[in-house]
Amino acid sequence: MAAQERRVLTRHLGSPDLTSLAGYEAVGGYASLRQALTMTPEAITEQVRASGLRGRGGAAFPTATKWSFLPKGVFPRYLCVNADESEPGCFKDRVLLESNPHQLLEGTLIAAFALQASHAFIYIRGEYRAQRELLERCVDEAYRGGYAGASVAGSDFACELIVHGGAGAYICGEETALLDSLEGLRGQPRLKPPFPAVRGLYGQPTVVNNVETLSNLPYIVEHGGDAYAALGTAASPGTRLFCVSGHVERPGTFEVPMGTTSLADLVELAGGVRTGHRLKALQPGGGSMQVLGPEHLDLPLDFKAVADAGSSLGAGALVVMDETTCLVEVSMRLVDFYHHESCGKCVPCREGTYFESRLMHRLEAGLASSDELATLAEICEHMDGRCFCPLGDTATWFVMSAYRMFGDEFRAHCGAGECPVRARGRRVA
Amino acid sequence: MATVAEAAGTPAASTGVLSHATRERIRTARARYPSPRSAALPALWAAQDQLGHVPAEAMAEVADELGIGAAEVEAVATFYAMYFRRPPGRHFIQVCTNVSCALRGADDLLRHLEQRLGVADGGTSADGCFTLESTVECLGACGGAPALQVDRYSHEDCTAERVDQLLDRLRAEGAGS
Amino acid sequence: MSAEPRAPADPLTVTIDGRAVEVAPGTLVWDACEKAGVFVPVYCAHKKMEPVAVCRMCLVEVGTLPKLQPACATVVQAGMEVRTATEKVRRFREGNLEFLLLNHPLDCPVCDRGGECDLQDFAQRYGPPRSRTAITGKVHFDKARPLSDRIMLDQERCILCWRCVRYCDEITGDRAIVLQERAVHTVVDTFEGRPLTGPFQGNLPEVCPVGALTHTDYRFRSRPWDLQRTPSICSGCSYGCNLGVDSRDDQVVRLVSQDNPDVDDSWLCDRGRYGVPDLNRTDRVVSAETSLEGPRRPLAATEAAAAASRALAGLLERHGPLQVACLGTSQMTNEEAFALQWLARDVIGTPHVDHQLRDWPQLSVEEFRLGIRELEECDTVVVLGERPEQATPVLTLRLRKAEHKCGREVRRVAADADPAPLAALVRGRRLVGVVAHETDRTAARELAAALAPGNGEVRRLTLTDGMNGRGCKDMGLLPHLLPGYQPAERTGMGGREILAAAVAGRLRALIVVGPNPELEAESGFEAALQRVELVIALTPFLGAISRQARALLPGRTIVEKQGTVTSSEGRVQRVRPALHPRLGAGPSELRLLIEIGRALGGAWDGPPLATPAFQVLATAVPAYRSTRGGLRAAWPGWGSPG
Repeated sequence: MAAQERRVLTRHLGSPDLTSLAGYEAVGGYASLRQALTMTPEAITEQVRASGLRGRGGAAFPTATKWSFLPKGVFPRYLCVNADESEPGCFKDRVLLESNPHQLLEGTLIAAFALQASHAFIYIRGEYRAQRELLERCVDEAYRGGYAGASVAGSDFACELIVHGGAGAYICGEETALLDSLEGLRGQPRLKPPFPAVRGLYGQPTVVNNVETLSNLPYIVEHGGDAYAALGTAASPGTRLFCVSGHVERPGTFEVPMGTTSLADLVELAGGVRTGHRLKALQPGGGSMQVLGPEHLDLPLDFKAVADAGSSLGAGALVVMDETTCLVEVSMRLVDFYHHESCGKCVPCREGTYFESRLMHRLEAGLASSDELATLAEICEHMDGRCFCPLGDTATWFVMSAYRMFGDEFRAHCGAGECPVRARGRRVA
Repeated sequence: MATVAEAAGTPAASTGVLSHATRERIRTARARYPSPRSAALPALWAAQDQLGHVPAEAMAEVADELGIGAAEVEAVATFYAMYFRRPPGRHFIQVCTNVSCALRGADDLLRHLEQRLGVADGGTSADGCFTLESTVECLGACGGAPALQVDRYSHEDCTAERVDQLLDRLRAEGAGS
Repeated sequence: MSAEPRAPADPLTVTIDGRAVEVAPGTLVWDACEKAGVFVPVYCAHKKMEPVAVCRMCLVEVGTLPKLQPACATVVQAGMEVRTATEKVRRFREGNLEFLLLNHPLDCPVCDRGGECDLQDFAQRYGPPRSRTAITGKVHFDKARPLSDRIMLDQERCILCWRCVRYCDEITGDRAIVLQERAVHTVVDTFEGRPLTGPFQGNLPEVCPVGALTHTDYRFRSRPWDLQRTPSICSGCSYGCNLGVDSRDDQVVRLVSQDNPDVDDSWLCDRGRYGVPDLNRTDRVVSAETSLEGPRRPLAATEAAAAASRALAGLLERHGPLQVACLGTSQMTNEEAFALQWLARDVIGTPHVDHQLRDWPQLSVEEFRLGIRELEECDTVVVLGERPEQATPVLTLRLRKAEHKCGREVRRVAADADPAPLAALVRGRRLVGVVAHETDRTAARELAAALAPGNGEVRRLTLTDGMNGRGCKDMGLLPHLLPGYQPAERTGMGGREILAAAVAGRLRALIVVGPNPELEAESGFEAALQRVELVIALTPFLGAISRQARALLPGRTIVEKQGTVTSSEGRVQRVRPALHPRLGAGPSELRLLIEIGRALGGAWDGPPLATPAFQVLATAVPAYRSTRGGLRAAWPGWGSPG
């Protein structure tokens, strides 16, 4: 069967003037919100539970379960929308923010109603300045259209919508760092427990949900949780937006049903590995996740199957690398990224990413000894699982998985004086 | 008990580097949040939008507006990569060199820009028109790699030619204004 | 943080490296380890601050959890099994120390912290055997930059434990030191590097576990192993902060805090901590002198005391006791104060005795009822004016703790404010505290009276001037009260009246004890003394008192003597000699006072030493009997104030 998209999140794309309130209403926008307001918050949560929707930010935690952690009877409560998409290789939230911002606002308001949250804050990364301004315009429209504020769509539910722009810090995608950033502090992760559901923003019960997660809600409310669940498999229900980039013919985002689609299907949707080249490695999930090889192409987009193979679907990315790729160089770039983005809070991440980065540069340049390669592995051991938050842990995952899978390539760099992959490429050319 | 602002030694300045409009923006932002401190990032953005960067005086004034200490504002301002401590060029070019862009020629693009602008990565061109920076987060434009962002807009599938055209256009705009 | 006192819960048992230990629910693993006698290295955790778990040094194995857990931030659970001595933990500590040393300058030979540095100590004990930092090079930061005239900052030595930042946030609240920048470039600094201005800067080097924050006045002064530490009490005010006097070659080199959770909570104010020069003053009375028998000449202190006694005996014979007065000082110990009032009342027979110039009408021990620790338990604390915190600065930190950590209400009102509106606001409280400086004790009494009808209980704390102003009152060094606040049969002249009598020529003899800066600064003091026929002075320092003495007996400073002092809240604590008495200083003031008394026929029970003297005074003031170990005196009807 040829790979096929299944458009749920992206079903309205291409409709005229979709980023305006009128354009969105023309495709039935905000009808789900009106419908939700006639339901009880519990009934909405039940539909979300039935849909099997899991968080699309990377951790894949069941959304309804996350909502259920809010302590009963404690108000005010807050909803935060994580639009801090920064995972290398991920750009799906950007697509949703740019192409259908009102769908996100509608989903946000539905969630806010289900949670009985008084405020919903949309935390959007600083680099998405144009998208932020678009979102701010849409929020203004939503207020003017009566969908936000003191009376949401004429109901007695009140909810303020606030767009909050970040300013360049990957760590703010971590939900507790996002909360600190929203409180006007350095965006550094908080000690857990207490978890945000109990003591989150301003010390109040708080839910943080990803853009894609919430953008699914209008569909789920309209069609029911079961209909959504039926789109995928029992273990991995629904559709998901995947970002395919790297050495493919047509990089882009593709919405596919979970479970029944494979990694190979995604590569195919993106036009296959670029002409004249063959697949060397895959990175699903985004920059944090472990590398996979061509032998993993048949893996379905199923949380467990990919986890069993030693990686993760993470935030819905797939970076494709062909035989011209040096895995040491790719590792170095990712390590540099984590080094730059470490918040500096805990020792193993702050110092470890620095050590890692220095070593990777020496290795990539062919200057490192084999002892230094052993040192690299030791450093990663002292970081993984020892850091305050997942950033430091994940700063080791790709490089260590690449070292395991492409050990010869790493070893060939030791004392080589230059990158052997590049040298080979020159010889071939 | 002295307020935090007093303790930090920042007088409530009525005149300063922030314009009336910027202060109004900060106050509007402040009013939106349950806690005034939450407006720190929007306030710093407002200051930077006006001044092009965030000097110490601006931080102190932001602190005053939010009723927190100047040191607290500096702690925040220096944490986030997008607030400039020193004035950058008229246009800020961020070249993504993360994995997806690197796989599709970001390094060549960066080298080309360095050559064209006559600056090293991180520098500002002699005419003050461009600041070039590649130590940036993934710009979320992997589908259009290699990508770069000039000020608030991203440019995808960049080639040397297209980048040259873009630079020419931006220069011309600057000359016209 | 709950404002209600926590209900005691049943203890639970956890196992630390195979050792079972019982702890209260809510205890942190780190504290449980300490209780089990298992040392866990840590940089960021601090007993007085909230856990942050950033240094990761304390990671340990907990139960079957696959990840190592931070002992400083993990709460115990019943049956929890903690392992700190495993290979996994050992390897991680080694790795983490390698990380910490990666960008550290390793300048221990020129670092003031050398020898008492946790980085040095843990690197020795748990660190890697070799350095691999040649691979990486180091990131450089500012070194040896003054953060104020008291504190130096070395950003390269900093390990970013956040203690100074949290100190400025949680303890003082000025938030002057913050984290700046990010990742490996993170530093601690003030806004634009501007100077610190707070009154509690000296605690910063103490909370710093390494040599990043150091004292300017201790810079390159000493190594810790060359110092001798003597536990004592700060003489800067009457708050009673515990400290260690670090001395070398009979000089005080520095003062360090010694945590007393009931008093200082481990914090000192800069006025107290940096009072070192006062303790090393060289303008000392080095020898006894008299001009009683011929021209003024030096002689042994015991001979001078004998000469003074003879002169006084003659004078008493000629004129009787009522033209004799005794003026002590709020710097003297309880034993000395008690001995002086004994000398005055029981031996000489004069009621004219005091220790300062202020009058204390309607004084009762009730105005010292409120304890420092109890400030955390008051529903509302009312502070009158700025004087209490100016007089006893560390009080500010306790008030902040009461307010921010314990959720209490702290109201600062003008000392001359009308009590009625406040009484209308503060109603229905279980316990209200009223804190005032002795200057404002009348206003405090009126306020307490106004608050009493609307609230459960109102307790007062009066902050007294002078290190032992409170003890002098307890000891009856007052014209109208005997030891233990018993009314005197005949009220004598107070300090100011004594001086007036001297000026008027109505005073023939005065026994005066120094140092008494208040007295010596009083205009006309020296002229008044000149009109007194016989001035017998005991004082350590040169000045108006020593100049006007006809019999001058050298005294000891607070770091040279033994005894007890009583803080404003009534806590009876020991001072100990950190330095040898200055050469030629001779016997202690206590011994001299008792010898003079004995020479005049007085009976003093026991040897003239501090400890037996305390027994004597505790007989007269029973509240002092159960104060051993630095407890508050237990006054009749107070229960046990602890």
